Amino acid sequence: MSWNFIQQDPLQQTYDVVVVGSGATGGWAAKQLAEAGLKVALLEAGRAVSPTEFTEHTPAYKLKYRDHSPEIMRTRPIQKQCYACMEYNYEWFVNDLENPYSTPPDKPFTWQRLRVLGGRSLVWGRQSYRLSDNDFKAASRDGYGDDWPISYAELAPYYDIVERYVGISGAAEGNEMLPDGQFLPPMKMSCGEVLLRERVKAKFGHTVTIGRAAVLTQNHNGRSACHYCGPCERGCRTFSYFSSPFTTVADAQNSGNCTLITNAVVSHVNMDNGQNKASGVTYVDRLTRQVKEVGGKAVILCAQALESTRILLNSSTREYSNGLANSSGALGHYLMDHVVGGGASGHLPDMKILPNANEPQRPNGIYIPRFRNTPSSKKHSQFIRGYGYQGEGGAEFNFGAEGYGTSFKGAVKEGVYSIGLGAFGESLARWNNYIEIDSNLKDAWGIPALRIVMAHGDNEAALMDDAAAQAAEMLEAAGAKDIKVQARVEMPGMAIHELGTARMGNDPKRFVLNAFNQTHDVKNLFVMDGASFVSSACQNPTLTMMAITVRACTHLIDRFHKGEV
Amino acid sequence: MKRRELIRAGVLTGAAAALRPTLSMAQNTPQSSELTPAQSGVDASKDLAATGWKPLFLGEHQNETLIVLSDLIIPATDTPGAKEALVNRYIDLVLAAETHENQRAFLNSLGYLDGESIRRYKAAFRYLSREDQDDLLHALAYPRGGSEWTGEAANDPGHTHFEQLKQRIGIAYYSSQIGTRELGWDGAFAHGSYEGCNHSEGNHK
Repeated sequence: MSWNFIQQDPLQQTYDVVVVGSGATGGWAAKQLAEAGLKVALLEAGRAVSPTEFTEHTPAYKLKYRDHSPEIMRTRPIQKQCYACMEYNYEWFVNDLENPYSTPPDKPFTWQRLRVLGGRSLVWGRQSYRLSDNDFKAASRDGYGDDWPISYAELAPYYDIVERYVGISGAAEGNEMLPDGQFLPPMKMSCGEVLLRERVKAKFGHTVTIGRAAVLTQNHNGRSACHYCGPCERGCRTFSYFSSPFTTVADAQNSGNCTLITNAVVSHVNMDNGQNKASGVTYVDRLTRQVKEVGGKAVILCAQALESTRILLNSSTREYSNGLANSSGALGHYLMDHVVGGGASGHLPDMKILPNANEPQRPNGIYIPRFRNTPSSKKHSQFIRGYGYQGEGGAEFNFGAEGYGTSFKGAVKEGVYSIGLGAFGESLARWNNYIEIDSNLKDAWGIPALRIVMAHGDNEAALMDDAAAQAAEMLEAAGAKDIKVQARVEMPGMAIHELGTARMGNDPKRFVLNAFNQTHDVKNLFVMDGASFVSSACQNPTLTMMAITVRACTHLIDRFHKGEV
Repeated sequence: MKRRELIRAGVLTGAAAALRPTLSMAQNTPQSSELTPAQSGVDASKDLAATGWKPLFLGEHQNETLIVLSDLIIPATDTPGAKEALVNRYIDLVLAAETHENQRAFLNSLGYLDGESIRRYKAAFRYLSREDQDDLLHALAYPRGGSEWTGEAANDPGHTHFEQLKQRIGIAYYSSQIGTRELGWDGAFAHGSYEGCNHSEGNHK
């Protein structure tokens, strides 16, 4: 355990707010509340993190297995499915043996997560996109599911706040499905990407834009512009990419009002049942296994969608026998994760650019916003909603060159110019995709673990089929050869965009949270992370999670000032 | 100092820490346990060159065969080849930590090479003349097409075995310090900002 500035025992006082989780949303909650003068306890299940352990500038040959370590498979067979779990940084990811969960045999789910200060904000892909009313009001447009209880206009000012602070590089496009934001200068596109942009606009009218990334293209808020070394997921010693420990969490601590408690594995929310109010949380010290409590006038869960809901499910009382704040019965249901596995790749043989190991490595790609079932396109006959693409084009070393010997060695360096697009599709909210407590399974701290039951459906499969065909057509229009399509539905969890399970809505009988992320049942209990999402849209969700958190905190601060908490 | 050198110097000395000292101080609590070797600064790049090196997994004949094969697949040219990059030693290290299934698959492929060599030339691969080694590798290195008469697909285990071996050798070589230099890397992690395409519309090459 560590704490700053406050020398007394951090557990001997009652805080205004206990925030569980120090990632993208928990960092924002701690910053907003502490800077508003509230006393905050910020709990993180993992350890602290230091820039001295960043490895983005360590070449692979200094690693024992040069990033091909078979050893990771022993303790992290699930985490290894994540592209960012590497020999460099695997200790940031949870040990799968200590953090089990179950699934039905025919419904695999990959749950990729970190327990360390900052959580997944240390390794995230940094793609940052706004949702639009086409997403918030999707149910009104096509009749499936539920609208969000908030509109784009209500959230837009909070997107502004988050973007101005975080620093999102990107280009304004005026696209109806992808609202523009407060952008730093965009990163540049490669020749192949510009070619694709021109041809796709001319032939299909679709927009190909540079990825909107939480990576700085100029010095911003005391952080340095990106130096284009490449592998952000190993850390960033110039703090050019956004991660919470060195931005929001640091601000919260510097305010003097935030006590950081690391190694605090929260098991459940404590209740004052007489008053129907949360009184704090109980946690297990990750290292000593001691059970401890920390008290607060309000409790905010920002533990990651599944973890926050797991805490509520593990907080049952006599009044709330099937999970705390679950009078609706909806807690745990409507789990979503973007569907991935559809796309195409090919070569652009006309590009004569050679691969260059010394070229600056752009930590970003291109993006094609959703063009299916939009206000200006006709309704698709095979599916509702849509998908967006992430992609990239550039010269690469040709390690797959044929043959052997001198000719092979030369062909590797000559390289190939590749271009590819991979779709992220909307995952429909379904009651039958859910999490519950597995009564036969506990984690290493004795806390009951989750059973995750999720499968993508026909709509998701149709999205990926279409995404494969459309990607091939667009690459063909750019002159690509050797085009290969992929029309798979990867297992849920692969997008690492888990959403839902405590969704927000105005009707307390059907929704867990209100429009300010407050549980309908317990007025001083909040869930401010991806669990609150009503629908998944197809855009990468972290920016929206952060904006929702800032909006909810603004509301909570107001209630504190009015003496309502 | 040029812009590029400035950036590089900044990266090495931690310019950001100077920019915003409160931030880097705030989380400055390094812990020795629960770090990966890379995160605690371990440099394993010289381990394989240790004098008295002995294989952990491969037998002597297998190791010698791998040295010969790897140097045929990635020979020394005006730059060093697989043998100098100690490709065999890296592959041995990884194999020693691999699953039994992957270990067996590798030995099967290496064994296939010797089996074909003995069948065709009556000697194990590493004892063949350079000419015979080349003949055998050419027979394995390219995929066989199916029947142009009936459309029947080709049964091509030789090429599959070759590709398995070649892939391991390629990873071992290009991830080594020698291989990284072969790809032209100058050893620095910052080379200015990404400039992207500067061509006029419709004129990308």
